[in-house]
This record gives sequence, C-alpha cells and structure tokens, in this order.
Amino acid sequence: MALLEVHNLTKYFGGLKANEDISFSMKEEELVGLIGPNGAGKTTLFNCIAGLHPLTSGKIIFNRHDITELKDYEVARLGLARTFQIYIASGDMTVVENIMVGCFMRTRSRSQAKARAEQIMKDFKMHDLSDYILSELPVASQKQVTIAAAVGTDPKMLLLDEVAAGLNPSEIEEIMATIRHIHHKMEITVMLIEHVMELVMNISDRVIVLDSGQKIADGNPETIAKDPNVVKAYLGERYVQEHAAELT
Amino acid sequence: MDILVSSLFAGLLIGMVLAMMALGLTIIFGVMDIVNFAHGEFLMVGMYTGLLTAQATGMEPLLTLPIAAVAGFLLGIICYFGFIKFVIRGPMVAQLLGTFGLMIFLRNLALLFFGAEDRAIHHGILVGKSFELGMGVIAPATKLAAAALSVIAFWVVWMVINRTKIGKALTATSLNAQGARYMGISTERMNALAWGIGGGTVTIAGALLVNFWSVNPFMGLLFTMIAFAIVALGGFGSVPGAFFAGLVVGIITEIPGIWDFFTFLFNFDWMADVPMTSLKYMWVYLAYFVIMVVRPRGLFGWKR
Amino acid sequence: MEALKNALDFSDFPRLDMIIAGAIGGLLVIFPATPHSAFAMVTMIQFLMFSLYGMGWNTIGGYGGQVDLGKAQYVGIGAFTTAVLMIRWDIPFWVSMPIGVCFAVVWSFIIGYPLFRLKGHYFAIATIATSLVLKDIFEVWDFVGAARGLEISPIKYIPPDFLRLIFREDIYYYYVILGFFFLGILYVNWFRKSRLGFQLRSIRDNEEVSKSLGINVHWAKIKTYAIATSFVSVVGSFHACYIKNIEPEDTMSLEISILIALMAMLGGAGSLWGPIIGAGILIPLKSYLKEWLGARAGLIGIDLIIYGAIIMLVSAVEPRGIWGIVEKVRRRKRN
Repeated sequence: MALLEVHNLTKYFGGLKANEDISFSMKEEELVGLIGPNGAGKTTLFNCIAGLHPLTSGKIIFNRHDITELKDYEVARLGLARTFQIYIASGDMTVVENIMVGCFMRTRSRSQAKARAEQIMKDFKMHDLSDYILSELPVASQKQVTIAAAVGTDPKMLLLDEVAAGLNPSEIEEIMATIRHIHHKMEITVMLIEHVMELVMNISDRVIVLDSGQKIADGNPETIAKDPNVVKAYLGERYVQEHAAELT
Repeated sequence: MDILVSSLFAGLLIGMVLAMMALGLTIIFGVMDIVNFAHGEFLMVGMYTGLLTAQATGMEPLLTLPIAAVAGFLLGIICYFGFIKFVIRGPMVAQLLGTFGLMIFLRNLALLFFGAEDRAIHHGILVGKSFELGMGVIAPATKLAAAALSVIAFWVVWMVINRTKIGKALTATSLNAQGARYMGISTERMNALAWGIGGGTVTIAGALLVNFWSVNPFMGLLFTMIAFAIVALGGFGSVPGAFFAGLVVGIITEIPGIWDFFTFLFNFDWMADVPMTSLKYMWVYLAYFVIMVVRPRGLFGWKR
Repeated sequence: MEALKNALDFSDFPRLDMIIAGAIGGLLVIFPATPHSAFAMVTMIQFLMFSLYGMGWNTIGGYGGQVDLGKAQYVGIGAFTTAVLMIRWDIPFWVSMPIGVCFAVVWSFIIGYPLFRLKGHYFAIATIATSLVLKDIFEVWDFVGAARGLEISPIKYIPPDFLRLIFREDIYYYYVILGFFFLGILYVNWFRKSRLGFQLRSIRDNEEVSKSLGINVHWAKIKTYAIATSFVSVVGSFHACYIKNIEPEDTMSLEISILIALMAMLGGAGSLWGPIIGAGILIPLKSYLKEWLGARAGLIGIDLIIYGAIIMLVSAVEPRGIWGIVEKVRRRKRN
C-alpha cells in the first residue's frame, strides 16, 4: 500500500519551470533518496509535497488523504514532517524546548511533551545537550535537533533536506546512525535530499533522480549509479560517451 | 459642485506638500529598510527652523528653504551617526522602539525650547493673497507657492537619484547592499546619505508647510502617520509612488469637504451629523491599514 | 489540573531568583503597613498596574516577538466599558470588567485577523493606526463622553464599596490591584509553559519551521493577542474605578501604548520577570522625576526627554533588556 503517491506534479514560478510532470510513489517504511544536480528542483518538490507551495498542477495523496490543497501546517498534522536545508539558529529556546515544540503537536500537556522530548533525546544520544540554546551548538548538533523536533510530531513520514551538508565524515556517520534509527527503530518512512553520495547510496532502498525539473531515473542505488542519463546529468554528455563501456 | 471642486483642488495642493514630506521616509526605507518613527518630528524641526529663521531675520519665509534643507540634512546625518547606526545592528524590536525613543526625545526637546503654543508665520509677500481660479476655487497664494515648490523639489530629487552618480549609488544600495559594496559603494556612506537627504527633504516640506499650518511640538505623530500612509500606498521605496500617493492622501484629508458635497447632493439628515472634520485623519489611518492588508506592495513599490 | 500545577510551579527558576521574588512579593504585601507617603502609594499602584499592562503585552510582544504599539485602545475599551456601565446602569466592577474583556477580545479578533497578515514594522505601524482610529472614534462618540470623557463621581456611592470598587483610601485599591498582579504572574507562568506559549516562542524564532511542526501560526498569534488584550482591558477597567475621570486623550493615547511596550522591552521582553523589572524602574523614575523637577518640568517634558533617551539607549545597547543581560551573564558563567 502506497504511503505517498505523487501524480504529475508540476510547479511553475511565474515563467520558471521548477518541477515538471513528476510522478512516483513510496511504500511504508521505504527509505528513498532524492538526488540530482543543483537547481534540479529537489527542494521545490519537497516544498510542494509539504504544502509550502501550491501546485501548478498535479495531485498528491498521502496516507489515503488528498493533500494537494492543504497548507504546510495541515500536512504536518496529518503525519508528514520535514526539515529545512538552511536554518539560521536564533532565539533563546533550549534543545529540549525545541523538540517539545514538535511534541506539542500531539498533546496539550507539557509533562507529556517533555517526556516524549526526553525520550527522543535519549534515542538520538543528545541528552547532555538538553539545556543549550541552538546558537551555542555546532552545526551538526543543530541539525540533529531540527530532526528531533520533526520526529517529535510523531510523523509517519519524514522529508529530510540535505541534512549532511557541511558536515565532516564523523558527523556524517552520526547523522546516518540517527537516520537509521528513525527508519528502522521508529519505523518512519524517510525521503531524503542529499548531495553526499556515500550517505545516499549506502542508506537508501531506492533512489529517484531529478534533473532540470524532471524525473529522469527511479531505481535501486546500483542501477542508478550506472544509468547513463544520471551520469550525463552530473558529469555531462562527453563523460558518458567516453565511458560508454562501463555504463549499461 | 463648487465645494467638490475646491475640496479636490485643496487636496491636491496639500497633497503635493505631503508627498514632499513622505519622500524622505521612502528614501530612507528604500536604502536601509528601517522605518523612522521620528519622521514627523523632523518635519516639525523643519517647520520651526523655517519659522524662526524668517522671524529672526525678517526674511521672506519662502526663501528660508535652503536653510531648512541644510538643517534637515545635518539632523539626518547626526541621527544616523549618533544613533541609528547602532540600532540597526539589533533586532527589529530595537529598531522600532529606538526611533520611537528618538521621537519622544525630539518632541519634548522642542517642547522645552519652544513651548507648547501654536506658532505660525504671519508675514511675507504671499500671506493673505489668493487667486481665483474659476469654478469657485479660491487658492491661497501661500498654498499654491508651497505646492509649486514641492513639485520642483520633487523633480530635483528625482533627477539627482536617476541622473547623478551618487543617486545611482543610492539606488544600488537599496536594491542590493552587498552587491553595491562589491562595486565599491560604501553602505555606511549611503545610509548616512539617505538619512541626510531624508532629513533635508522633510525639513523643506516643513518650511513650506509652516506658511499655512501652525506648528507646535506635538504635531509630529499625525504627520508621521500620514507619511506612512503615503509611503504604504505609493510603495515603500518608490519616489514616484510617494508623489502620486501624496496627492491621493491629500485628497483624503479633504474628505470633510467632499462629504459636505455629497450631503448636499443626497440630502440625508444623518449625513450632516457625522463629525467628519474631527475624523478626517482617521481616514488616513484606516487607509494605511486597508492598503497594507489588501495590497502591501502599494502602487509602485517593490518591497513588501 | 495540570494547568494549575504549571501555573504554581516555579521550579525551573534558579533558587536565588525565587528567593528574591519571594522577598519582593512579601514586601509588596506588607507595603501599606510601612510608613509611606501618599505619593509613594500612588506610585506603587501605578507600578502594579503597569506591570500588568506589560505582562499582557509581553505575551504577544515578548514571547511572540510581534511588537504591538497599539495596546492603549484596549485600556480604553476596558475603562470606558466599566465607566459607562457604572454611570448609566450602576453595574458593579466585577460584572463590567468581564464585559469589558469580552468587548476587548471581540475587537481583538476583528482587527487581529487582518492585522496578523502583516509582519515586522508594517505590523507595528498598523497597530498604531488601529489604536488611533479607535481613539478618534471615541473622541467624537457622545455615548462615551466624546473628548470630555466620563467621570465617575464618588459622591453617589458609599465607600468602601467592594462591588463597585469605590474606596476613599488608596490602600483598598492597592490590595485589589496587588491581587490581580499575583494572578497575572501565575497566568504568565502558566502561559510560558503551555502549548500556546511554546508555539509562540517557536514562531518568534522561525515561522516556517513552526508551520512545518504543525503550528497554525496565524491563529496562534490571534489567540495570544486576545490574551494580551484581556490583561490590558482588566487593568483598564480598574483604572476607571481608581482614577474615576477618564478621557480618550489620557487613556488611549500613543504615549500609553509606548509606555506599555517599553515596560517589557526595558525589563526584558519574553521573560516572566521582565515587565515587572521594567515597570519597577520606569514608573518610579517617571513619578519621582516629576516630583523633583517640579510639576513645571512635567509640563515642559523633561521626564519624557529622559524617557526618550533611555529608550534610545536601551535599543542601541541591549535590546534584550535587563533580564536579557542577566541571562547572558548566567549563560556565560555556565559555559
């Protein structure tokens, strides 16, 4: 049973075509990577699914609800959470308070929200950071917090937008562990946008590739890596021709 | 019918002066994205400057414009380097309350120096004279002159901004400060310049206004709100917008006259009871609110 | 029930804070028994009133980060509702005050819905605009006394009248407003721990992220705005019974709006103690400046010149207010 179905999603910004006729579906507990060169329309796709942008045309069905017309907070309330690529840490809320904001989506009670937040911090191994405010933390930890807050909303599905950007290898390892925990232990379906190939290829059940607003490939990581269209999108036509023998 | 035409005409005349007043606000906003709550106080300073210079020297009031302009320019620059510069580094709360503090400060400083009574200009070659323009429109010479000078000053500022190098630098900074810096345009200098020009234009408007509007230390707020309404309607940051919006708002302030016309036309008793004159500025505030909710970009603005 | 527990639970504050707060609270309770001048009493009542105004403002302006410079209109709604109901139909304070709150809340929803589509300085200017509109309307509306205002003449009643809040001695007024003051603190303590309080703070930090966490930002702001207006309206009603002589120019002017915002800003917007600290500094300052410099100084506005200078100084140097400085120092020590 498909958890998420995207049908012919098209998004124009004025005359600029950001997403064109994209269709795919995701089953429960899949982990799907979304890759593509810069400007391919990946974040826009996320934004459209999450309800931030209205679609130019197309349909989105999540957990059997038609969410095409819904606003971002309504989509979140149905169980589809997301993180943001660029997040400027500001304000004076502590780590635990940030996560509690997410938890408050499911409860009115502060004690319940706090309990859930503390459980999440334990699972993510962030308990010692509980009382720091975000701007005091390194970028990697900030990202963990935003993921934790999104998880606090008890989602069925989580969209992660470039969580590994700007992290060093050991931090990437930690984030991968977190994502695995979310995916396996918490049984949350995940879709992630990534440029860090070792993360995506290692962790994904399936990979979808966008280029210039269109979907150009959809399959398991090994197949994708050899797909000439994908290689062309990243490395250009010439490379494909020169290495035609290695590619299927 | 006469009432309608003369109200509209009076509205246009005052509108031109109001547009001049709002020009400074829109320039400062365009370059720096900060809203100056003390704007009306700058106007008041301009009015006092014009008034006192004319009274002290016996000069023809309309000739005090350059002095007022210089005073305003200096005031703007001093405010920038002495205060605004620090406030923009902080969060918006700080900026809002900061220029508010400036407003209270200037207003009460004026109260201290000038006392609370109304003052007005009573001499000058144009006082007391008026022109009859047909259709029952009688225009006081002072208002006509003020409007005309406003238009000229507007045109000058427009030329400076569009044709001179420094004007273009100002525009560059307001569009993209970072990019302008890469071209060697110092944002700091442009900010100060914006405040200088902003201050200078509004004091000119003040010196014009004081010829037919008496000044007291408390009038700043009303004009600040009028300026906001004009800038909102014309579009924050747009010079031509300020001009046309100024005319519209000028006409709004003449609503009592227009209301009288319609009262006469429709002859409903209740219409005569509405105290339109006391409420005439309320329409300006309402206009601001409605514009911001319905069309925040205003007529010509690019910033929201 | 958990709400009540939350309101009474101050345990997340450092012990030192609670000791100081307790001491000050105790002092406030016994103040009338200590030797004091009538002038000091008036100042204290004003302090308590403005603390409450500031606390109300703080919910939407501090925790929520939406700088509202039009609170005075709600002072007017509260004050004039109580005054009109008392003068015309002899309705006691404890009935007219909630009615005033209802009017205030209704009005806040009416203008809140379009108002909160705006942000930042556009929002602030719009709040000023609405406040001035209401003030202008009140100034020409005969039902509320137009520009002359209304006067509750105490001769008609026999003090002490607890129902109508008519007393001869200030001490009664003091304890009434002190009661509201403590209730207000409990309420804000509940608020900052409540779901709405968390939502607001999240909104202040980042609206998009808040929406992605399921928060209906527009609605949360409107709800909080209604809370803030309720606070202000309650104190406005009290004001009518205390001062007994109200007119739009005094109660609904922009100065009042700025003062209210300033309490919280100076003391520390977004913190529980901030508005109280702010009021504790500004109200005595204002009163004693007037006293020392003489009434004449009040006429020529020296106190306001200093006020203006203080506002400018605070906004340029430490926009987070005094409590912000305290927290910064504490954080640095902890790290």
